[in-house]
Amino acid sequence: MRREIRFRLNGEAVSAQVAPHETLVELLQEGFGLYGARESCGQGLCGCCTVLVDGRAVSGCLYLASLVEDSDVRTIEDGGELDAVQQAFIEASGFQCGFCTPGFVLMTRQLLDEIPDPSEDDIKHYLSGNLCRCGAYPEIIAAVKLAARKRKGV
Amino acid sequence: MLMMKAGVLRPARLVSLRKLNLDSISNGKDGVLVVGAMTTLRELERSAAVKEGWPVITRALRTLSNVRVRNVATVGGALAHADPHMDLPPLLSALGARATIAGPQGERSAPIESLYAGYLENTLRRGELITHIEIPPLGKRRAAYLKCTTRSADDWPALGMAVVLDGGEARIWVSAATDKPTRLLAAEKILKGQITDEKALRQAGAAAAEEVHIESDLHGSADYKKQLIRVYLARAVHEARNAVH
Repeated sequence: MRREIRFRLNGEAVSAQVAPHETLVELLQEGFGLYGARESCGQGLCGCCTVLVDGRAVSGCLYLASLVEDSDVRTIEDGGELDAVQQAFIEASGFQCGFCTPGFVLMTRQLLDEIPDPSEDDIKHYLSGNLCRCGAYPEIIAAVKLAARKRKGV
Repeated sequence: MLMMKAGVLRPARLVSLRKLNLDSISNGKDGVLVVGAMTTLRELERSAAVKEGWPVITRALRTLSNVRVRNVATVGGALAHADPHMDLPPLLSALGARATIAGPQGERSAPIESLYAGYLENTLRRGELITHIEIPPLGKRRAAYLKCTTRSADDWPALGMAVVLDGGEARIWVSAATDKPTRLLAAEKILKGQITDEKALRQAGAAAAEEVHIESDLHGSADYKKQLIRVYLARAVHEARNAVH
C-alpha cells in the first residue's frame, strides 16, 4: 500500500515511499534521519513535533506524511547557518534542556512572518500550543522579542 | 487523526478530500456566508468577511486549541467529529447556521444542531459528507460565545455557551457540559423580554442548570458544571448585549 510522493524538504526536491497512516514525524525520522521534530504528547498540545508545511506550522505527529505531496517542508535542520530566531534563542537563553526548542523556533518563524513586530499577547497567543517542561517561558518570550528586532536589523 | 492514533478508529482506507475544492469562503444569497467544509479553522479565523460580519466566530476561533492545530483542522471535520467539547457546533447552532450534506441520494441541507445524536455520534448517513456550511447574516442580532476551561487556558472546555440576542429574545445553546449541543429552552422562555433583568437572568441560570442532563468528565463534575451554567448564563447574555459589531 505504499505510494511514492514528491515534495521539497529543506529546499531540496525529494521523494519517499509512504504508507497511508504514516505520520510526517515518522517519515522525517525513519526516511530522512531528521530527529529535530519529535513526538512528545502525540495530541497536538505540546508543539515538540512542529514542522513548517508551506510556511504554516503543523503538528508533525498528527499530520499524515502523504499530505505533504508537492509541498514545501521545513524542519529545524533547514539551512547551514543559524537564522535570527535561533540566534536570539541562544543569546536570550530561551531554553534549558532544548527538547522543545525546535518547535518554539519554528512556531516563532510563523509568528514573525505574519506579525513582524508582535506584542507580548501575540507571542503568548502563537506559542500557547508549545510546552516547555523546564519552564523557560520568560526567557523564550524575551528571545522572540529579540528575534523580531534582529529580523528588522535593529 | 487522534482517534486513529488512539486505536478507537481502525480505518481500512483513508480517503483524502483535499482535491474536492471545498476550501473557499464566499458570499451566498441574502447575505449568507458560505464556508467550504475543507476550509481550515485558521482561514476562517483570518477571513476579513467573517471578522466584519460575524466577529463572534473570529473571537471564538482565537480561543480554540492553538494556532498549529487551527492551521490544519477543518470546519467540516470540527462539525462531523461530534465531540461535545468542540466550540463551533453550539455557536453555529445558536447563529442558525445550516450544513449542506452530499451523499449517494444527492444534496440535503440540515440545521447544524441536527448533526448530533450524542457523544461522538453524528447523524450523517453512510456515504454522506458535509460539503459546506451556510451562516445567515447577524443583522441586528448580537452574539457571544463563552467557555470555561479548567485545566489550562487551551484545554477542552468544561462548558461552552453561545448566546444570540434578537431584540428582546435570546437563543441560548450549551455544550461540553452536555453530550451534544443543547438549546436551553426553559431559560430562553424566562428571559423573553427580560434580558436586562438581573433577577430573570438568575432564574434563567437556575432553570438552565436543571433542564439539561449534565455529564461528569475530566474537566469537571456534573455538580460543578451545573454551577458553571448558572453563572455563565448571565455572563454570556451580558457579553452578547455588549458585543461590538
